[in-house]
This record gives sequence, C-alpha cells and structure tokens, in this order.
Amino acid sequence: MEYKTERCDVLVIGGGIAGLSCAVSVKEQCPELDVLVAEKNFAGYSGKANRGGGVLQYFDPERIDPWEFVKFHAEKIGAYLGDQELMAEYVAMNKGMLDKLTSWGAVLPKREDGSYRVFPTGPMTAMIATDLDITLNIRKTAEKLGVRFVDKTALIDLLTDDGGVTGAAVFSILDGTPMVIRAGETVLATGSQNYRIGSMWGSGRGDGIAAAYRAGAKLRNVEFGNFAQLARVRSHNEVVYGENVMYNAKNEHITKNFMKERETDIPSTAIREWFTQIREGNGPVRVDYGPPPPPPPKAENAPPSPPPKPRYGDRFRKLNHEAAAAVDQDMEVAPLFIGEQSPIAVDHLMKTSLPGLHAIGDCSYCGSGVAGAVPAPPGRNRGSGILNAVFSALKCAEGIAAGAAEISVRGYDEAQAQAAFARITALLERKSSVTAKQVTALVQQAMAPVEQSVWMHEERMKKAMDYVDQAEALLPEMSAKDTHGVMECFEAEAMVLSAKLHYKASEMRKESRGWFLREDYPETDNKHWHKWIAVEKRNGEMVFSLEEIPPERFPAPDME
Amino acid sequence: MINTRHRIEFDPDKCAGCQLCYKSCFVDVIRWDAANRKPVFQYVEDCEHCFYCQSVCRRDAIRVIPDYESEHLLQSFPQYH
Ligand SMILES: Cc1cc2nc3c(=O)[nH]c(=O)nc-3n(C[C@H](O)[C@H](O)[C@H](O)COP(=O)(O)OP(=O)(O)OC[C@H]3O[C@@H](n4cnc5c(N)ncnc54)[C@H](O)[C@@H]3O)c2cc1C
Ligand code: SF4
Ligand code: SF4
Repeated sequence: MEYKTERCDVLVIGGGIAGLSCAVSVKEQCPELDVLVAEKNFAGYSGKANRGGGVLQYFDPERIDPWEFVKFHAEKIGAYLGDQELMAEYVAMNKGMLDKLTSWGAVLPKREDGSYRVFPTGPMTAMIATDLDITLNIRKTAEKLGVRFVDKTALIDLLTDDGGVTGAAVFSILDGTPMVIRAGETVLATGSQNYRIGSMWGSGRGDGIAAAYRAGAKLRNVEFGNFAQLARVRSHNEVVYGENVMYNAKNEHITKNFMKERETDIPSTAIREWFTQIREGNGPVRVDYGPPPPPPPKAENAPPSPPPKPRYGDRFRKLNHEAAAAVDQDMEVAPLFIGEQSPIAVDHLMKTSLPGLHAIGDCSYCGSGVAGAVPAPPGRNRGSGILNAVFSALKCAEGIAAGAAEISVRGYDEAQAQAAFARITALLERKSSVTAKQVTALVQQAMAPVEQSVWMHEERMKKAMDYVDQAEALLPEMSAKDTHGVMECFEAEAMVLSAKLHYKASEMRKESRGWFLREDYPETDNKHWHKWIAVEKRNGEMVFSLEEIPPERFPAPDME
Repeated sequence: MINTRHRIEFDPDKCAGCQLCYKSCFVDVIRWDAANRKPVFQYVEDCEHCFYCQSVCRRDAIRVIPDYESEHLLQSFPQYH
C-alpha cells in the first residue's frame, strides 16, 4: 500500500497538556530540533485539561518540605507502593511548573504583589484556579516556537528497528490516509484508558498504551486502572467530596462505616459501602452536604467588590450546569466507573523500556510509579493531573534535550508499516456485522460494575473475565463502515487489552492496598505484595513479573 | 458512553463557517463540509454532551440537547443500569 511519509527529530503523539508541554519545552531548549505533534482530534481542544475541573495543586515552598508531603502521601494515599524520590521531585518543582505554565500563556490568577492567588485545601496543599483555555494558549506558544502539528491523525502502531522505536504508523481519521512518521525520539502522550464508560470528558481509550505494549514496552501497575467516583444518578455528573456525607434510606450516616477521619479524596471503600448498602436493601444512597456556609461577614463601609472577570470556561460550565440541574431532582448517587489505567513503565526521565520511546502524562502515571497504590490523577490528590502531566513533560524534555546532539532519524521495518496499514483495509473490507460498539459494550460489562472492578473477589473477577474473553473472541470479526469506525475498532481492541491486563494482574495481587480492594484478601500483605506487578509482551505472550519498589525514605510500617 | 441519543440542533443560517465547533469536538462527532463551509454533525451517537461545540459558537448556531436517559451507569442493580 502507498503511504505518505514525514520525518522529524521528535514526534509527540497526543496533543493534550502533556504532549503540548513536552513539545514546547523541547523546542525552548533546542530550537534546532524539528518537533511534530500528531493528534487524533485537535491539539489544544482535545485532551482533558480544557474540559476539566480547572484547579492546580499548590505547595507553599516556604511552608512545605517536599519530603513531608511524600511521607503524608505514602501513609494516606500511595500505601507505600510509590517511587518516593520521583514524588519529592514533583512537589519540589511545583512553583517552577506554575511559572512555566504562565510563561506559556496559561492564565493563573495572581495577587497585586505578584504571588499566585491560592485557596487552602488541607494541611499541606492549596489550589489555584486556572481557566479552560490553558491548552489552547500552550498550542499557540508551540506554534510560535515552530512546533508543527498534524491534527485528526491517530497512531496505529509504533515502528521499530533493532528493538528501538523509530517512529509511528498513523492514519487520518477523516479519510484514512496512511502515513509513516519517522522520528529520532518518539513521545507517547495519548492519555489513559477510560473504557468510554463515564463520559467525564475524557477521550482516553488506551490505544497509545496498546501500541506501546504491542511494540514490546514494559507496563506496570495495570491493576490500578479502576477509578470510580460517586455521581448523580440522573445527570451522571461527578459528586466531589460526597464520600464524607453519604446517607442511606434509613438516614444513617454511612460514611462512618468506612472512614474514621476525613481523607484527601474519595477512597474505594466508599464505593464498596455504596454497593453493600444497595445489596442489603438500604438504598438509595444520597449525599447531603447540609446548608451552604454563610458568606464571610463584610467589613463595614467596604466598597462593593467588582464583579468577577468573565472567564473562557464560564459558558461551558454554565451550559453543563443548567442541563444537569434540569434533570437532577435530588442528591441520589451511584458509582460512575472512570478507569484511568495509565501503565506505561518509565524511568525518572520518562524513558520507556524501549530505546527511542518516552511516555508522559496520563498514559504513564501509574507506570512511572510516582503515586503508588492509586489510579491516575487525580489519584486521590486533587489538582495533580495537569501538574503531573506538565512534570512528566518537563522531565522528558530534559532527557531529550540532554541527548539532542545524538538524535538521528533511523530506519524502520517496511513490513511493520504495511501490517499496520493492512489493519485499516481489513476492517473496512471485512463483511461482518460485528461492530466496535459491540466489543466495547462487552468490555464495559466487565469493567463498570464496581463489585467486579473495584471491590474485587476471585469469583466476581472470573465473571468479568468471561466478558473480556467474549469481547476478545469478537475482535477478528470486527468491521468498520468508515474511518471513524476504524478508529473505534482500534480503541475497542485497546479496551480489551486493558481489561484483560487489569483482571490478570488483579487476580495476582492477593491483598488489599490503598485504592486496591479485594474482598477475599482484605489485608495489606507487605511481605509478599510490597512489589510492583510488571507485564510485557514476549514472543506473543503476556508475561507478568514482580519488581522491587525503589528505595524508600519512608518504608511501610512492617518493612522497617 | 456509547449509543447515546443526545441531539444537536444546528441552524445553518446563523453559522459563519469559523470551524471552531469542528475543532473543539474531542471525540470526532463533528466533521467539516469544506464546500459549504459548514459543520456536519456526523456521529451524533458518539456525542458525550460536553457542550464545548455550543459554548465556542459565537453565532448561537448550535444547541446540544442531552438525553441523559440514554447514558448508563452500568451497575449490576436494575435501577442503576
Ligand atoms: C472532568 C475532568 C476534570 C479534571 N479536573 C482536573 C483538575 O481540576 N485539575 C487537574 O490537575 N487535573 C484535572 N483532571 C485531570 C487532568 O485534566 C489530566 O490528568 C491531564 O489533562 C492529562 O493530560 P494528558 O495530556 O496526559 O492526557 P489527555 O488530556 O487525555 O490527552 C491525551 C491526548 O492524546 C490524544 N490521543 C489519544 N489517542 C491517540 C492516538 N491513538 N493518536 C493520536 N492522539 C491520540 C487524545 O485525543 C488527547 O488529546 C481532570 C480530568 C477530567 C476528565
Ligand atoms: S462554531 Fe458556530 S459559527 Fe463557527 S462553524 Fe460552528 S456553527 Fe458555524
Ligand atoms: S457536545 Fe461535545 S462531544 Fe458532543 S458534539 Fe459537541 S463537542 Fe462533540
């Protein structure tokens, strides 16, 4: 098959905040490098940061020692399964990242004295509200610096030569045009896997993760891709911090059953509690925040405060809010499965196990090990998603810039490129009625019910795996009407892989830890499971192994 | 979510052909008709009712009408399916 070719020094795949930040940072440090961003939709508009909550975690450098936060995180969130060194670096870079974002055009509110306008959220953290044009502004900066973009172009497979990654086979989702992009360094920034269940404005379908796996990259912490949040039962809008104020139909404050002290964000035990209450006939479960706090008293003779400045995201939020308010009659809640598998294993410079391939942002959050036993951002750490993406992007750019002099575009395997493009033709030409949506629906039946994916038990996981097997069996039959359908097929295939990885690793981890909950193994077992589960494709087989956690300054209590 | 029944109303007479709605859709619901310089709402069954297209349209040419009933939580209890 004929195809177009492109070449560049650095190829970034995925134009969300991670990809954009990496492209800008590489170009700032090495203007001579040709940097190309390939994005499935439109870089700047796609991704999560421009549809998200819009808050950034803030650590006061005057007050918070990064290691103090690492200790808190290990105890309360990461359950001693994290790379503590990397987490300390993330915290230490906080102010630097905020300044970088500002210099790239992100609007972060400041006080008259030039300091960031922050609002406290806990003993160690605070937040800064950013606006939803953050990624659009960074794209503009990237274009000014000379970064090139190919939009509406999706990764199919990575191309390799001698085991190293040398570029990618991509296609236009508009008309199917195939293209080989040859690159010295390739950066995956394709987001997490959300199985298309919770709409939540996340387009992560795991196809970047699947491509990395197929190319032979190591994955890690695949079993921590089972995030779920409480949501309103009619609009399905997420209910933040509702876990603190959960009530059953008997008006009992059921939060008391699973939480002794206020936690940083929703624990998986809140999801378990919801399930138990409904199963026992005590539903529905609702949240009750109580009356809103009174407004702060106004100083006498204080001048009327000026109306708040209009913000880019105002209209987006207003439309969403009004539509949801029209259907949400009460505060009844149920879990919304979000997933967020983010498993591409990387080192501190975001290098994967394959030479020439890097992975940043939500596709490698758990794979980096930074946060331990918790799914991808927010990872029970509100406001950390965007900054983790920026952090990993800056680390990755640092590594690429350090090796810039040696970057060279190498060869690729023609047969591999042809095989990738043949997958498009096969899907379009196949005469079958099996669609990507059918496959996706089966994977969703495996992942969405929280007693299968969040509060796990061997028996229930078997049931889930049955659905995954059924979905996998349909893959060779799948067909597509057009190139949008081809994209959906690649995504469905990736979902099957993610679900399979999730259940295989979850079955292995015979304990409960942090977010990870098993009914049949309720205790944390540091003796056997103070380890990461890694997985890679070897000779066509899915091979799991155990890895030691990097040295910890704060070891798990019974490991000291 | 898959197979949603959200609807999108579009008034071509108001549309100025700026492409912002087309660019803003993050799940490829909207395609671009270059000949007529108008968006085409081609894969509405994949719409996630994020309202982004409506919110960027300066001409008020788009209305997203969510059908929340067509979205499912997929929990095992019938009332939450
Ligand atoms: C509703 C919501 C609220 C949030 N609120 C906050 C918040 O308040 N604060 C905070 O810090 N974080 C928040 N987050 C999390 C944060 O937005 C994310 O962690 C962060 O934006 C992830 O960035 P990313 O670039 O790694 O991934 P993404 O933003 O997911 O970007 C991935 C990009 O890759 C593209 N892509 C995917 N597959 C392919 C392919 N095959 N080929 C080419 N391109 C591909 C996608 O189209 C997308 O543009 C929120 C997230 C959501 C969904
Ligand atoms: S954003 Fe509005 S004016 Fe612009 S192309 Fe879309 S419908 Fe037309
Ligand atoms: S509401 Fe969102 S998902 Fe639906 S068409 Fe508009 S931009 Fe796309």
